[in-house]
Amino acid sequence: MKVNKFLLFMIIAAFTALIAACGTESDDTKKDDSAASKTPENNTAAAQETETEDLEGSVVIDGSGTVYPLMARLAEEYMINEQEGVSVEVSRAGTSAGFKKFLVENGTDFNDASRQIKDEEAAEADKLGIEVKELKVALDGLTFVINKDNDWANEMTPEQLVSIFLADGNVEKWSDINPEWPDEKINAMGPNENHGTYEFFYEKILDKQDMNSNVNLQQEYSTLVNLVAEDKNGIAFFGFGYYVNNQEKLQAVGVDFGNGPVEPALDTIAEDGAYADFTRPVFTYLNVNHAKEKPQVRDYAIYVMNNINKFAGETGFAPIPETEVQEVISFLEGLK
Amino acid sequence: MHMQTEQIRLRHMKTRLLLNQISKFIFMLSAFFGLFFLAVLLVRVVTEGIGSINFGFLTGKLSTQPERAGIMGAILGTFWLMLVVAPVTMFVGVGTAIYLEMYAKKGKLVSFIQTNISNLAGVPSIVYGILGLTVFVRTLNLGNIVLAGGLTMSLLILPIVIVASQEAIRAIPFHLSEASYGVGATKWQTIQRIILPAALPGILTGAILSLSRAIGETAPLVVIGIPALLIPFPGSIMDRFTVLPMQIYYWTLDASLVSEYANLAAATIIVLLVTLFILNATAIIVRNKFQRVF
Repeated sequence: MKVNKFLLFMIIAAFTALIAACGTESDDTKKDDSAASKTPENNTAAAQETETEDLEGSVVIDGSGTVYPLMARLAEEYMINEQEGVSVEVSRAGTSAGFKKFLVENGTDFNDASRQIKDEEAAEADKLGIEVKELKVALDGLTFVINKDNDWANEMTPEQLVSIFLADGNVEKWSDINPEWPDEKINAMGPNENHGTYEFFYEKILDKQDMNSNVNLQQEYSTLVNLVAEDKNGIAFFGFGYYVNNQEKLQAVGVDFGNGPVEPALDTIAEDGAYADFTRPVFTYLNVNHAKEKPQVRDYAIYVMNNINKFAGETGFAPIPETEVQEVISFLEGLK
Repeated sequence: MHMQTEQIRLRHMKTRLLLNQISKFIFMLSAFFGLFFLAVLLVRVVTEGIGSINFGFLTGKLSTQPERAGIMGAILGTFWLMLVVAPVTMFVGVGTAIYLEMYAKKGKLVSFIQTNISNLAGVPSIVYGILGLTVFVRTLNLGNIVLAGGLTMSLLILPIVIVASQEAIRAIPFHLSEASYGVGATKWQTIQRIILPAALPGILTGAILSLSRAIGETAPLVVIGIPALLIPFPGSIMDRFTVLPMQIYYWTLDASLVSEYANLAAATIIVLLVTLFILNATAIIVRNKFQRVF
């Protein structure tokens, strides 16, 4: 019994010590960590550009899952090459869900968005006194994907595509679109209401007409990729990036806007490209108050704009015109 | 006449023996059912993930580029999370069990608390996530830091710890505490010197097993909002963090963007399984070492 009592005492003592240690000890180690890791960086950075100051703190980004790969890539490059002391955190709850975290007291610093901010969201920002700046970061082509074994519907007109997703489109089977196509039910899918891609599709492509209630709406793009890859009669829409990384599983529908079918590709979804009718800009919205208060947020925003076109292509986006980039940068540099 | 009953008995004997064999077979099947799927999982995960496990992966920082991605941040996040969960659940869980078993008078209040604890054990973990988001992240304005996540996880596993501790305390023979009171010890002295030492193996086993549940849990942390990309290592319980199961979750989802993420997810599953195995082994060792027969 003596041994046990001793052991119990030791365990309780150890836990107490741990709780007590958590606050103080960990803060020290953290400082040591950042100091130790910063020193070599400091030297190299100082050798290259003497005027760069070392920043710290965090930059919190949430929002669109479509824009996420691009923003995550930029965040990582920034932390490796620019400011190692700054922690840039990127989440992707979806554009609308992200705006809910952006438009609150002490909300996120950036909200990635695959559609423009809505009037009611802008009104909410005004009410809270949050100054919001829209940063257009890239161009994305809304891509319709079908199963690899689907050898009939690889080319469609915008009207045909829209009719599949409309409540009163009178299309249930492929044969309803073209009598020569199979007499089989179409399984239409897409991202759900949390996503800006859904809203862009509903507002700009469907022109706010009711969507067919049979459309299978999903939270995750990976789910859509897998569903279409396994379903011969599946068709789904999402950003070009999710298609370009899954070309071995899916094929894109070539859209005939009147001058023959156009496949979405980096050059066709570019500014004034042949796919322009289904191309949309994607954004990140900056909390300007945060950018003024926190130097790391402003610095990161400038970094994003300076490097956005460098990383757009590899993550499946088309670049935006350089003049637009420079305009935004001069705005950001004016923030103090 | 005698011969006839003998024959009947023999015939019955055959069916009884057959039934015996069949039941043995059925129960063996159910025993191997789980084992079979565990084996499938292990083979799949190991073949997919073992190639990605190396020193760089285990000690490196998170990255969007699969070739330089590491999970040290998630390992440290799990560690800090446990540093919050373990003391909180041990203290509150064992405290509750002691109150219910030693102090509270058996009555309506105790059975009310007891029923609620049992019900809480069955609440889906995502509901605890919503609770944690509302109370710790939003109302107390902690943000999505280790402390908030840890307190949420503590709530999740508290019912298990309480019930396990209660069982451990209840299993102690009555004559031990009677003898303690007999020589003039107070209630607290009895708890401190007799009850807790004797119940310790049971309590620790329950606590460690529930900790391994907390380590593997994802849903509450998804709700709290763990970032998909968080590169710096957490250095204290006040830092933002990610944990092993969250990394598995994000990498599995993003495998549709970068196919190598599937291997990273599998490798992370291996690391998580090894961690759980070590924890469960500790639980068994602790139980065997301190087990006493009264």
